[in-house]
Amino acid sequence: MIFNLQSRQFDQTARAYSADLYRYAYWLARDRFVAEELVQETFARAWKNWDSLEDFAAVKPWLITILRNEHARLYERKRLDISDDDPQELELPSHDRPGAHLELEQLVEELPPAYREPLVLQVLGGYECKEIAEMLGTTEGAVMTRLTRARQALRAVISEPARARS
Amino acid sequence: MNCLEFRRDKLADPRHLPPEAIAHMNDCAACRTFAAEVDENEARLAAVLDVPVPEGLAERVILRRKTQTRLSPRLGMLAASLVLTFALGFLQWRDVGSQEYARLAIEHVMHEPESFTSTRLADPQLFRNVMHNFGGELQASLGKVRYMKLCPVPEGTGWHIVFETEQGELATLILIPAKRMQAQSEQATVGGWTALARPGGQGYYAVITQSPDTLGKVDELVRQRVRWRS
Repeated sequence: MIFNLQSRQFDQTARAYSADLYRYAYWLARDRFVAEELVQETFARAWKNWDSLEDFAAVKPWLITILRNEHARLYERKRLDISDDDPQELELPSHDRPGAHLELEQLVEELPPAYREPLVLQVLGGYECKEIAEMLGTTEGAVMTRLTRARQALRAVISEPARARS
Repeated sequence: MNCLEFRRDKLADPRHLPPEAIAHMNDCAACRTFAAEVDENEARLAAVLDVPVPEGLAERVILRRKTQTRLSPRLGMLAASLVLTFALGFLQWRDVGSQEYARLAIEHVMHEPESFTSTRLADPQLFRNVMHNFGGELQASLGKVRYMKLCPVPEGTGWHIVFETEQGELATLILIPAKRMQAQSEQATVGGWTALARPGGQGYYAVITQSPDTLGKVDELVRQRVRWRS
């Protein structure tokens, strides 16, 4: 009976969150095949450890943490720790046709992972800085700094030419 | 709150401004303009990050859960012995199914006839990127790409590509990740289609055409113009 309940919970979770996890995995790995493999491995690991999930309401952050660790284990061979050291100012190369969808996609890809990851979690997942900090195992202040700098870097490239034209 | 503090808060989390930041924005025209610009960029950013998700992803996750049912230790040992028995049997049977990879590719093409009549993602640069991500570097063009689609395959998702060669012949190229072929190549003919599968990139690829002559030419073309990373 408990097994059936857990199976139903798992299936609901897969239907609700596999797409979000895939997008997060894609921006982590920047490869569609790897992204799907990461999602599959994440849910496989989650199912093995379903008994340890104490709060079903927190299942999505739990899955994101698993996915992040799977990515580190399978593809990076190291944890994706965000350093709390103050980073250098972030500068992205300017593009000939900034603002267009593909160019913006390229700019996001050029962001260092420590900036791209919290940005994806916030824009796609709608998480607040404090929640992202908990998922990434860092401080709220560090997340705020990286999000501010990531948006400043993108804004400098995509907004300036528009201002110059106007 | 001053303008600098407002802008820092807005850039850190555009959708969750504290009450004092909202109050400042209501009183400051410059910060309202700034906020509108950030919101506009945010919408564009959200559209970029919202990449397409492969069809049937959740169903494949659930299917895997059903085949991965957690077992008690005793049942686990029993299952392990059964797996070993079947694995030994499969090793003996494996050679019989040596056309599996090529045959599956033909079946995939037969189930997607619209790939020959419609144009989809016909972008040479996207094709180059897809090949690169799969582990193949295009040394020269294979022809005009007409159709590209990310399709569900047994172990994930693969790319289904239709292109027209310089001689005007249509050919399908299917990129299947994760599966490793033991043989150098496998060929199959089913329902008027002929296919050749070879190991390459992150798994294997298959070329499918309607005539063996065309298959030979396209296979040669792919071998000449794609360098596979090991």
